[in-house]
Amino acid sequence: MKLQHALGGLENLGPVNTDVRVFVEEWEKRIFGIHTVMMAESTHLNGALPAYPVDSLPTTFKTTWTWASLRTGAEAMQPFDYFKYRYYEKWLMGIGQFFVDQGYITAQELSEKTGHFLASPGEALPVGPNPALRAQVVDYLLRGDSGLRARLAAPIFQVGQAVTVADPPAADHTRLPGYLRNKRGRIDAVYPGAFEYFVSTGPDGLEGPMPVYRVVFDAPEIWGASMSEPRTTIYADLFEVYLQPPDLSDGTLS
Amino acid sequence: MSERFKYDPHRESVNAAKVRALEALLIQKGVIGSDSVEAVLDHFETVAGPFNGAKIVARAWVDSAFKQRLLEDTPSAIAELHVAQGMDGAEGEHMAAVANGPGVHNLVICTLCSCYPWPVLGLPPYWYKDPVFRARGVREPRAVLQEFGVPIAAGVEVKVWDSSAQIRWFVIPERPPGSSHLTEAQLAALVTPEAMMGVALVASPPPL
Repeated sequence: MKLQHALGGLENLGPVNTDVRVFVEEWEKRIFGIHTVMMAESTHLNGALPAYPVDSLPTTFKTTWTWASLRTGAEAMQPFDYFKYRYYEKWLMGIGQFFVDQGYITAQELSEKTGHFLASPGEALPVGPNPALRAQVVDYLLRGDSGLRARLAAPIFQVGQAVTVADPPAADHTRLPGYLRNKRGRIDAVYPGAFEYFVSTGPDGLEGPMPVYRVVFDAPEIWGASMSEPRTTIYADLFEVYLQPPDLSDGTLS
Repeated sequence: MSERFKYDPHRESVNAAKVRALEALLIQKGVIGSDSVEAVLDHFETVAGPFNGAKIVARAWVDSAFKQRLLEDTPSAIAELHVAQGMDGAEGEHMAAVANGPGVHNLVICTLCSCYPWPVLGLPPYWYKDPVFRARGVREPRAVLQEFGVPIAAGVEVKVWDSSAQIRWFVIPERPPGSSHLTEAQLAALVTPEAMMGVALVASPPPL
């Protein structure tokens, strides 16, 4: 089990950070930008609903990079490190390692170049504009990458129905918040169509398009009455594979 | 283990040099162009940002029929307004609004990562990305809101929205008292990203 899969409900963490800044260091903007360019030129956009010309883009980037890539990396971190490093520090570690692992750059190149810019922080970046890629970045940001797909089958659950959240095997990546595992909720809405996540999560269960539900939970059902605040309701959007019919033996199936 | 709890004393300068090194290498190797990162950052200066959400909220405050449409079909309602194009673009392909009211307060969270409605709110602030907020917000939202300076009365229901699939949520906060004389644009100027995620109330304007 990964701590990052089960952050919700973790106790004794102290006060929240109320910093309203998006970036706390100028360099953070650059790694955010690099990540977003990668998503805009990722090979997975071949299958996107907007027809993006990723195959013909003048770029040497020929790999898939999605939110799933970034998230899987963050979920793989040593949990103390996950808390230790700032948000964009984690992105920089993950993305730097990705380019080394994929052979786009070597660890030595990155280390030497980092040393170079440490010694000469004001030195300009190389100049080599790429208008076609720039246009694709703008287009991707404007048109997005919806996971909406046609349904392969009718939704299993209906609005108002009681459900129990599944407890699938731990995997490298999940979209099931850990605190909801085995908890009982009620279907609040069935979203139209079906949604496909960027990748299969293997034994975790995401694979191909499937209905998504808005499931409502009473706080005491999740945390127990003594650990819950009064009048609190939790809504979660959950892929169908994460839901099961409730235990029929207790007679509460509606 | 003790090394784990130390930071590199040159942490920020090394981070800055490393990201610059990475960008330089990616430009040299044709992975990105030297204008690619700027294209992204320009988008969040001019197209996607909390200025859009603020306009949407202000319209909802002055037009109750629009507010109802915004709650029922958020993308269609947003499309009625003359905000920037791309309101169903990246990280806003499927957005949904919820409204605060006299008996209900909404809080949006992403316990698994940092899902956030980019077109209408731009990029998530640090408080939203913080693991402590994400851990605590789902179990003790009232305590968390108190730390943000938003006490919630005992009789008010708190609804927490955990974004883990396709929907990106945002909150229509309550219109502040003492704002009846303001124009729609003046109302929009009062609305903050924090209010549209539920960790702040919209402050009343200074008295006339």
